[in-house]
Amino acid sequence: MTSGVHDSPLTLAPTRPTVWRDDEAGHSMRSLVYFVATFVVALILGIGSAWYMIDHGSPLTTTKVGAWEGWLSAGNPNADYYTRAHVARSGRLPLTSTVARYFVARTDDNGRALAADCTYLITGRPLNARWWSVALYDEYGGLIANSSGRYSFNSEELLRHADGSYRINLARNARPENWLPTGAVDQRLTLMLRIYSPRETDAAGIGFIAGDRLPKIERLSCE
Amino acid sequence: MRMRLPGLFIALGLVLAGLIHIVAVLALPSLAPKNGFSRFAALGPVNTVIQIPPAAPGQQPMPMMAPDVRYAFCRFDLSNGPVRLSARITDELLLIALYTPGAENFYSVVGADVKRPEVELIIITADQSVEEAGVDSPESVDNVIVVNSPVSEGIALLRLPLAGPSRADAAEQALKATSCGPYSRSG
Repeated sequence: MTSGVHDSPLTLAPTRPTVWRDDEAGHSMRSLVYFVATFVVALILGIGSAWYMIDHGSPLTTTKVGAWEGWLSAGNPNADYYTRAHVARSGRLPLTSTVARYFVARTDDNGRALAADCTYLITGRPLNARWWSVALYDEYGGLIANSSGRYSFNSEELLRHADGSYRINLARNARPENWLPTGAVDQRLTLMLRIYSPRETDAAGIGFIAGDRLPKIERLSCE
Repeated sequence: MRMRLPGLFIALGLVLAGLIHIVAVLALPSLAPKNGFSRFAALGPVNTVIQIPPAAPGQQPMPMMAPDVRYAFCRFDLSNGPVRLSARITDELLLIALYTPGAENFYSVVGADVKRPEVELIIITADQSVEEAGVDSPESVDNVIVVNSPVSEGIALLRLPLAGPSRADAAEQALKATSCGPYSRSG
């Protein structure tokens, strides 16, 4: 930054090339440049950090397990301001986190964005809750048109193995077992796991879902 | 003195960045015009139950609506007195949740916790009381719940998660039996 300011056309040609020992005019001009630069940097830092904290959350506001992200106080009247801003921006009306928990995944377990032209295997074990559901959306939260009219699988309809575990195939073309179609359009995908009335709660009364209970998302192949 | 100038600018920059951060976070909820509340408010009048068609591609008032949940809502306006919301509990999965315009879910009740076939919520503001509205002691009736609302206008959102793919029709019928309107002794 120092050299940039020094080379700037705004600085009057200094009699001596030292930054801090110029004539008065050069000094005040330099101060102005510094001030503007400081303000621009502050604006970028302030807005950028706010956006990051509202969009991605921090360990204080969110639980992150694998690809899943869940806001701890979503919908809660006592929620912090980051969570409030996140919920307002989402356009949703989530149930308070003492009644329901929501987890969103936009990537697979390796951090690669979920895409409609890939196939994924979601494997999971039963969740300790009254009702839960895995639903598939486009990146804006819209349901994806498909010929079988299948947009989600919930705890009541999922085909499961004898031990309660399940597999959901996320794919463009029909798959055996539980098939969640990714649709004909090449686009990014979002998964939402909604868990109503979790039976365990943490000390704050927030529904508790053990991290290892959240389903794994494995990418199998891409077109 | 002059040697400390960069330090001053860095300090000033950090303080400014912090202030901008705080203002941005606090201002965002009111700058988000399409929050959940305003999306529903656009769908119909106050103090009546509006059923939302099953979520389908291109047919969702809110993003990320559950395709396997049936929704109905009542936007309540308490400025002319308390509002009564009654719902038939056909399913223990039924969830009734009350929201402020800021999307805070300040009250919720689950069907499984109501040991009656019907539940009645009387929504009042802090400066109202149900006595004034002509009720002697609604607390004596088990299925009547008086809910204090922190706002005079909000949304009651009913969710009925489907207990299986064949349950959609029954769920929609159950939500049709919901009523919402100004509270009165006769009603």
